[in-house]
Amino acid sequence: MRLITVQCKAEMLRIVRNPYYVFWSLLMPIMFYFIFTRVVNTGNDDPTWRAHYLMSMATFSVMGSAIMTLGIRLVQERTQGWTTFIRITPLPGSVYFFGKMFGQTMMHLFSVICIFAAGYLINGVSLSAGQWVLSGLWILIGSLPFLAIGTLVGAMKRVDTASGVSNVIYMALAVAGGMWMPIEILPRLMQKIGHWLPSYNYGNGAWEIVRGSAPHWSNVLILLGYLVVFMLLSVYIRKKQEAV
Amino acid sequence: MDSVIEMNGVSKLYKDKKAVDNISFNIAKGSITAILGPNGAGKTTALGMLLGLLEPTEGTVKIFGQHPKDKIVREKTGAMLQEVSVMDRLKVREIIALIRSYYPQPMDMEFLIKATGLAPADLNRYAEKLSGGQKRSLGFALALAGDPELIFFDEPTVGLDITSRRRFWDTVRGLAEQGKTIVFTTHYLQEAEDIADRILLFSKGHLVADGSPDEIKSRIVKRSLSFLPIGDRSKLRRSLLELTAIEGCYEKEGRIHVTTDDTDEALRAIFVTGLPVKDVRIDQGRLDDAFEQLTMNQEEAI
Repeated sequence: MRLITVQCKAEMLRIVRNPYYVFWSLLMPIMFYFIFTRVVNTGNDDPTWRAHYLMSMATFSVMGSAIMTLGIRLVQERTQGWTTFIRITPLPGSVYFFGKMFGQTMMHLFSVICIFAAGYLINGVSLSAGQWVLSGLWILIGSLPFLAIGTLVGAMKRVDTASGVSNVIYMALAVAGGMWMPIEILPRLMQKIGHWLPSYNYGNGAWEIVRGSAPHWSNVLILLGYLVVFMLLSVYIRKKQEAV
Repeated sequence: MDSVIEMNGVSKLYKDKKAVDNISFNIAKGSITAILGPNGAGKTTALGMLLGLLEPTEGTVKIFGQHPKDKIVREKTGAMLQEVSVMDRLKVREIIALIRSYYPQPMDMEFLIKATGLAPADLNRYAEKLSGGQKRSLGFALALAGDPELIFFDEPTVGLDITSRRRFWDTVRGLAEQGKTIVFTTHYLQEAEDIADRILLFSKGHLVADGSPDEIKSRIVKRSLSFLPIGDRSKLRRSLLELTAIEGCYEKEGRIHVTTDDTDEALRAIFVTGLPVKDVRIDQGRLDDAFEQLTMNQEEAI
């Protein structure tokens, strides 16, 4: 237990002290939010849209940090030999991994709070206390499949490859999942595909909550399915890599 | 003497290349052992298997009688790897404290700080901002963090300046005096000779020699025999090559040198045959030369 606490604390310190994470996972979504709800006239001035797009940006931010930040950090630590050093210490691999996930989740919590606050300050988005908390929780817990994608990216050999690949995955998921613009305005075929993507189901949970209903069961099940698949895949690859 | 390390018929195959080929040795508690060899001799691979980072293709490795990956082994072992990297965004002091917390009975913090040789101001810097040499010094302190009984160093002094190098070896000697077992790899013969009480000489994945620095020296240093010819040089050289005790001969600065495994036998043969030579000299070869020759052969082989 003491080990877990110490490890979590160290991971948190490292994340908080890195300005790049803060920049990428906060500034971009908040700027987008400002542009698409205030600057560009979408002819859509109702409060529902502002709350909807706030959720889009919050999920967009957390998804990105789960896939890219986690993935690239894992690759960095491995290529620099730090992971190897940890393997020869008595620290169990599981604790190391848990520490990473914890640090990442704290980062997500921080992002969610900042983006929600931005929504309130920029557009006066008003939701009930229950809606704020529930959507926040949904975003934190729903990020699990994306963290699993992050560990997959983290299995790559080079930082350059990892950052390139994760960027593409991230952007593709965001656009096709209706995070940048509502999925309804995409072509019909794209919509069909989009409904099966983890990003759409992730976003939709939060969109439903701010609309006053609850996430669909299908959202939960699809996300769970992706989580299981990505986790198994990640464990399999790791086992293969370690069996040298 | 208790064996801390037991390597039994260990081989490591990469694809179809044998990096380490059927190596066996035991290492006694409290000894300082150097794994010496040119680059690509299999030193780091052997170390990787001792650390449980690599699984041997054949044979067994036991540390404290256990598998290297065992938690007990991890708690009693420390290591400094060739590529020392540090966690970014943590201060030097924080990293040391973090690694210390992994061990049941960590080394005293003050001792570790002294072992890094870093100035107080550097201890509060982010570890990734340290220079290469400073990072290695930090790596050294991290290897000692758990107050280990067995310590591995992979090419520990590469990139260290003379002062750091001296401090490093002084600390290592101090640790050995406390009864800790030390194993390090190096390709500097001098270092192995000065520090170690036993040398394992690796070449092309084989363990080619195992003994004290003096024993190794007499094994790899060949004596050379030289003399001046009386009369016809080429005739003398032809007759020399007919002797079984002599492997070959060459001329250098007017003298004829012969290569042989056994100088006594070669001399006897020369005198019994009555070959026309004078001013016979036997030279003790230099260790560096012999080692260099070994290294050169290695490079040619690659």
